[in-house]
Amino acid sequence: MTATIEIERNPATNTKCAQRTIIANGNEAVARAIVDIGYDGEGYYPITPSSEAGEVVSKAFAAGETDLAFVVGTSELAAIGICAGMAVAGGRAVDVTSANGLLLKIEELPAIAGLGLPMVLNLSTRDVSAPLNIKNGHTDLYATLGLGWIILMAPNVQAAYDMNIIAIKIAEAVNLPAIVAYDGFHTSHANRRFDVFADREDVRRFVGPPPFCGTLEGKNGRFSFLDVNHPRTFGPYMNDDLINSKVQLDLKFEKAYQLLPGIFDEYAGLTGRRYGFVEQYGDRSARHCLVGLNTIGEAARDAVDRLAAQDRATNLVIPTVLRPWPEQEIVDAIGSAGRIVVAERASQYGANNYLANEIGAALQRRGNAATILQRTCGVGGLTITLDDALAFYELADRWPNFDDTDARRVKWYHGAWPGDPNYNPPQTIQPIAASACQYNGNGDGAASKVDLRVLSNMPTRFDKHAACPGCGIFTNLNLFLRGIDGHVCLLFNTGCGMVVTTGYPLTSFKVPYFHNLFHNACSTATGVVEMIKRFKTRGDLPEDITVIAVTGDGGDDIGMDQLVGCALRDDPFIMLEYDNKGYMNTGGQLCYSGFKGQINSNAHYGSQQRGKTRHHKDIIEILRGATPSYLATASEAHPADMIRKARKAQAVTRGGGFAFVKVISVCPLNWGMTEHGGVETVEAIVNACMHPLLEIERGITRITVDPEKKGKKVGVGEAFKLMGSAYRPLCESKNADLLAEIQAEVDHRWARLKAMAESQVL
Amino acid sequence: MTTATREIPTPLPADSPVLAMRDELGMCNILLSALGGDGANMAAKLMFKVACTRWNLDGGYDARYGSEKKGTATDVSVRFCSVGTPVRQSGPTTNPHVLAVFHQSLIEPLQLWRGLRRGALCIVNSHHSPDVVRERMRLHSGTVVCVDATRIAAECGSRLNMPMAAVLCHQLGFPDHVFRNAIAKQWPNAAERNLGAFDRAIGEATRATFADDGRFAIEAGVVTRGPLGWRNMLNGGTIDALTHSTVGRDNRIAAGGRVPEFHAESCSNCGICLTVCSDPGGLLWREGRMTGIDDRFCKGCMRCVEACPETKKGHALTVPLGISE
Repeated sequence: MTATIEIERNPATNTKCAQRTIIANGNEAVARAIVDIGYDGEGYYPITPSSEAGEVVSKAFAAGETDLAFVVGTSELAAIGICAGMAVAGGRAVDVTSANGLLLKIEELPAIAGLGLPMVLNLSTRDVSAPLNIKNGHTDLYATLGLGWIILMAPNVQAAYDMNIIAIKIAEAVNLPAIVAYDGFHTSHANRRFDVFADREDVRRFVGPPPFCGTLEGKNGRFSFLDVNHPRTFGPYMNDDLINSKVQLDLKFEKAYQLLPGIFDEYAGLTGRRYGFVEQYGDRSARHCLVGLNTIGEAARDAVDRLAAQDRATNLVIPTVLRPWPEQEIVDAIGSAGRIVVAERASQYGANNYLANEIGAALQRRGNAATILQRTCGVGGLTITLDDALAFYELADRWPNFDDTDARRVKWYHGAWPGDPNYNPPQTIQPIAASACQYNGNGDGAASKVDLRVLSNMPTRFDKHAACPGCGIFTNLNLFLRGIDGHVCLLFNTGCGMVVTTGYPLTSFKVPYFHNLFHNACSTATGVVEMIKRFKTRGDLPEDITVIAVTGDGGDDIGMDQLVGCALRDDPFIMLEYDNKGYMNTGGQLCYSGFKGQINSNAHYGSQQRGKTRHHKDIIEILRGATPSYLATASEAHPADMIRKARKAQAVTRGGGFAFVKVISVCPLNWGMTEHGGVETVEAIVNACMHPLLEIERGITRITVDPEKKGKKVGVGEAFKLMGSAYRPLCESKNADLLAEIQAEVDHRWARLKAMAESQVL
Repeated sequence: MTTATREIPTPLPADSPVLAMRDELGMCNILLSALGGDGANMAAKLMFKVACTRWNLDGGYDARYGSEKKGTATDVSVRFCSVGTPVRQSGPTTNPHVLAVFHQSLIEPLQLWRGLRRGALCIVNSHHSPDVVRERMRLHSGTVVCVDATRIAAECGSRLNMPMAAVLCHQLGFPDHVFRNAIAKQWPNAAERNLGAFDRAIGEATRATFADDGRFAIEAGVVTRGPLGWRNMLNGGTIDALTHSTVGRDNRIAAGGRVPEFHAESCSNCGICLTVCSDPGGLLWREGRMTGIDDRFCKGCMRCVEACPETKKGHALTVPLGISE
């Protein structure tokens, strides 16, 4: 339910442009600004908590409300590369991201800035960490400070909308890219009443056409890559001249600093909403001042009011522009405070914190010797509320007179706890002995008989997860692991499978487990197996260990290059992909593995679009070219086949080769299907040849379950019927052409596969 | 992208608790405690938007987002205030005036009484009386409204969020017809079923008010601080699997007691159920035999019932009859 509700139309009284009040969340506010501005394109990749901002734009695109080019990349780096292409071609480009998504694309950030390509990147802030957390923090924001991007802060939902419109204007005025940072969850997911332009033409008049203005001297401006009549080289190799490029970047920021007040004024004139370099609240002559970005500052306003009602004057400073750094404005806003608490949603470990350092340096340059106290707070699931802000003013008041020595520190944490020194939990499980896991017959891989009843005695390598009822991931994983004997070490990519098993401080895994973020499991597994080889050679590791990397289908979009690397090197481990046809952990966005025409949260039906626009990725055929030892597909509806393939995969890795196995995995939640229907649905998918069960051993293809020969082959529509509401449009007569296209593609791939299976050379 | 519903805001009925229950910041704080998949999020968002639109209220709507999956506990916070009152706080409400409990089984594990304000309004999905639920809620003072929402939703072919939203909106003094219209518009294909549940819930809800009789104290909100902290957390946040396993996890709230029934006399120990089980650990297989269901963990997807073969001895796994809660 992302629709915004229009609740009134404000007549244009004090403002030049009529405004309208709506209720929506921060991500929807950003999406609205993107549509209002009329961007030429958006490069997109989902990541919590910014995903929805792109989803809403994609929905508007499907419905014909915007004509921008909305391109879903294979990764965050791809998404911003797409934006760079749009910008160098002279288009107006926008992207949304968070946390690790930002870090993955960070290679492009200084490039886009250095090449002088204006664009806007919305950053719904989130902590960057391991162990993984999806909630708030400003570690991502701080990683951008020195990359040459204008940084505007949006403390609330209203500002998330407004700052987007301001950002593209200042970016294009100085040929620099701009970030708009709004707090993940606290703003991105907070529904609030706020005002927007009633007529999007007013927004377009404000931002104007892309000006292609001069950078410094008037003539050295931005040019279009597509100007074939006047060819130019963009992104040359530069040697000693590089220092001049850096001077130019700095001078652009000086220009941005000069231009921003005028843009803020113009915006205030049109909307009645005034922004500046900094928001100051409370009493500038107060002894104590709190500095906090975004929602820290917002929450603290109530504390200032509360204390004022008690006749305690306090000051609050909320910087709203970080780059260009508005030093004079910050110092002026801090006023005469002698104690300044800088509360930040990040920590610069082993050093003083980011904002605190910059404020300290600014004050020192102006001869101000105020004491700066630093508190890292509000990271992860922790919120910062009125009570926390009151505690910060209390800190300013009492410091250093605390019994707790840590509280006397200049830099410390607010909301952290040391733990119970007497905590000594009992052992609740026993390690699984290799001898308890010997159910693979003769140990000759696939040859020995599969007896499911006997295999039921195989100890479960994991237990009691928190996935949705009927989830296919753990059926598949548990079944597959029954075909694996002895010791197992598991590595996971990020995804539902990881999130629902290891919520701190408990783990579902009874065997060693490692999650190393998003798409890195396979390369990490390579490192692990190399050490196994080394330690075994040295005689330090007596155990025989099978390493299995587990990923969703999304992990093999973003991590395709690393996976291909493992296959090319034929690294001795198993990669198990559970393919549930989407990015289910982040809210059901499209994955390239998904079927054409399927509904995703970023691929909708409307006048301009019918769901996912291209056919499902055939990862087996992509990997075939990398010539690994073993490739296979399996299904939970064919347990004996899966067990045989697991055994074979293990035998392959023991022989020193790489095995990739892909299983089809139902997602009752995002497919919109029944919780109990997994097996029946998967069987239909296999019978429709949409997930043919095959194996490729050293290049030789074999179809292991042939529905055609068994007389079980059905049309793809039969499978889609069972697959739930995400596939429902494909069962409707008005989309019969789409269904026929999918059938033709599936038939073509099946025919090719049969030909390969019949031939020793294909 | 926008759905225009141009209505002239009118004043909220004067007897609405939303006007009377206000904290020091001018907010009426409402908390919906539910499970992922209940639709609490959708219902609360609709309520928030409609109430702000129709009665010119302001406030905020903040759900506790995370990686919570279907069947795991989650909550939704709605704040209402008058237009003009600054809305600056974000995140979950810790001291609700109004609490809607979508599953009474959540009361004890989440200690839902904690943080409740004096004179709170509690709407609880329960077939018990308000007197019984008040004890369970350890309610200091206030009003308990009980509605057998699970049964109503099932019998009307609706979802749990409908009867719960109906009673919540009704008890907040929001005129029924406004939300009936909004629900019909939001989910046109399910309008009849949803409105059937809506009306039945309002009609069948039972309500009682309890004075401060000294039986239960006001308790501060829950602050989760585990025994592991920065001093004793293992290097890099590593988890010791031998001492911190989910093996003993009590997961009963997810299934709400609806797990398959196992009939040992009909079981041939074929092991097929184990191959399809989506919750490994939920089916108890001991020494070559299927011995039962771990009802503390099984989430009740019924995959095993679907796969359990019909033999001469009958069906070993069946769907339980009746509706719990």
